[in-house]
Amino acid sequence: MKHNLGKHLLLFSLFLVQLFAEDFTYRITTDSTEVYLKEAVVLTVELNQTNPNVVLFFDFDLHPSKNYTFHRIDTKQSDSYQKVKTDYTYLLYPLHAGDLNITFDLTKKVTTKENVAYSFSGDRDNVKGIDTQNIPITLPPFQLHIKALPKAVQLVGDFSLEYKIKKHQAKAYEPLPLQITIKGTGYPPLLENILPKELNVTRFKEKPILHTVNTKEGSQSSVTYPIALSHTQSFDLHTIVLNAFNPKTDKAYTLSIPKQHFEIQRVDVNSLVDKIDDPKPLQGDYGWLTSLFSYLVVFGAGVLTALTLKRKKRITINKTDPLIEKIEACQDAKALLQLLMATNSRQFASNIEKLEKHLYGNGKMNLKKIKQDILEKIV
Amino acid sequence: MNEKITMLKQELHKAVIGQESLIEGLLIGLLCDGHILVEGVPGLAKTTTINTFSKALGLDFKRIQFTPDLLPSDIIGAQIYNPQDHSFSIKKGPLFTNLLLADEINRAPAKVQSALLEVMQERQVTIAEESFQLDPPFLVMATQNPIEQEGVYALPEAQLDRFMMKIIVKHNSEEEELEIMRKGASKSFAKVEKVLSLEALQALQEKLEKIHIDKELEQYIVQLISATRDPEKFGLEHISPMLMYGASPRASIDLYKAAKAKAFLRGNDFVTPADIGYVIHDVLRHRIILSYEARAKGITSDEMISKIVETLPIP
Repeated sequence: MKHNLGKHLLLFSLFLVQLFAEDFTYRITTDSTEVYLKEAVVLTVELNQTNPNVVLFFDFDLHPSKNYTFHRIDTKQSDSYQKVKTDYTYLLYPLHAGDLNITFDLTKKVTTKENVAYSFSGDRDNVKGIDTQNIPITLPPFQLHIKALPKAVQLVGDFSLEYKIKKHQAKAYEPLPLQITIKGTGYPPLLENILPKELNVTRFKEKPILHTVNTKEGSQSSVTYPIALSHTQSFDLHTIVLNAFNPKTDKAYTLSIPKQHFEIQRVDVNSLVDKIDDPKPLQGDYGWLTSLFSYLVVFGAGVLTALTLKRKKRITINKTDPLIEKIEACQDAKALLQLLMATNSRQFASNIEKLEKHLYGNGKMNLKKIKQDILEKIV
Repeated sequence: MNEKITMLKQELHKAVIGQESLIEGLLIGLLCDGHILVEGVPGLAKTTTINTFSKALGLDFKRIQFTPDLLPSDIIGAQIYNPQDHSFSIKKGPLFTNLLLADEINRAPAKVQSALLEVMQERQVTIAEESFQLDPPFLVMATQNPIEQEGVYALPEAQLDRFMMKIIVKHNSEEEELEIMRKGASKSFAKVEKVLSLEALQALQEKLEKIHIDKELEQYIVQLISATRDPEKFGLEHISPMLMYGASPRASIDLYKAAKAKAFLRGNDFVTPADIGYVIHDVLRHRIILSYEARAKGITSDEMISKIVETLPIP
């Protein structure tokens, strides 16, 4: 890529239009009025206030049109509200050959010093707008003459091309990644179809990745096309040729990708098809009978366990209650009376009375019978 | 059983269903001039029981609800200035009664609880510079909420010792509760009449004095109390770490009196070891101070008393 734009800019004559309007003058300049289609034009608009008795603001932009695209690349404004000077710089690309009228949208905003001061009186939480009188101004169109491009030109500017192919061998249906990048200065190199239409393979495309920086020297762009190709048999990607034109040097040139051969290994499709029934087709299923039997066994086991535990618990209570053991161990009436006194339980009152009568009175008793009676009360 | 005691019990059961241990504890307290501490959850007819007692005996009854902001003067009375004749007069408090229900005693701070001490022990009240003797009988039945409840103060040991017995009131049996439910719903509790005069009560107290207690049993009582203080001496080494303080001499007196009263209530004219066994838990459970180890293990003073009774041979 040749960086000779600056040298050529010096050769261009300055094209200037200066006009007068109420309260201000305006001047429109370009680096050239005769350019190629899609060639970058730097357009500068200067607005100068001439009436210092009012406070002026400008709301300016180029009027959008399908015949050109533009990007505002710089704005300069003086700080004086009564002698305002505003410069707008645009990078413009004509999209239509022949005479091209650039039109403008301009609104003059007139206000007073008091209104400006009032707008500053608020704080950051109480912002006040400036009260202005908005007057639309109609500016005459600025004319450019646009030259047609040579035939079959796809790119306009000074570009270079790079491509990356990760592999040239693959299995059938396996994607083959291909990445093409076009870089340079000029009209952004976005192409609808970078690969030839006649290529009979499956294509996987993503949206091109575009990076553009607009400067006075033109648009510096980088466009990447991520692509993947897939096919069932080997194929050739024939030479891709992109026709480009550099308006600065007035010369046409080409960017190309040489012919590429891709080797595709065939795959036996039949081996990929699942021919085994899984799960197997249903036959006479008596599994429910097994399940039912299992449930019955588990239920029976549960019932038996519950009954066993209940019985065991009763036996355990009988055996583990220390009072029962102590009662059984009592050899005489006095020991039994002493034990019952220690229990502090009113339920043994009748037993205590019998023991008392035997020990301290004339009563008779059967120790074994009393013990049995006490044990029954406990259990 | 003594006819008058039977009559009194029948009259009490007109309004109180079940709660035999509480009724018997109050009877023992009345006969022995002792005070009763009652512990149990609310709604177990504690107030009804003592109120019924007062009606059946024709005695004066007052109730004090102990609260955290209660002052000693609220219960014993105060000296009041009379501006008409520029003189001071004594306004007697609710303590001047025969039967006093100190409800939820452990909700009041220690200074109010201490105000009861003099009255319970000396049966006299000092207001300003004047002391007043209380008319007999004078019985304090204090109810206590379990210590686990919110907003209660533990009673000091000195005051606990002044209660002859601590009765644990439990819920009624299902049959008793059914009867309570039916009678309560239909308001069919019979009216309690006075069945025993003050003189008759005093006569019963005199009869109690004549109940015989054998010397061996007197010795047995002393040994039981001593075992709470010095368990090792009686072969109770295993419970020694569980006891911090044993029972006081006042416990010996109260156990002696309570055993006699129990024998009297059972209709005997002599005391047997069983009479002691019937009352020993109620007399000692609030006087034995358990060690931290015992409390940590969840051991109760009743269990300690049972161990002692179980170990010491009866005469």
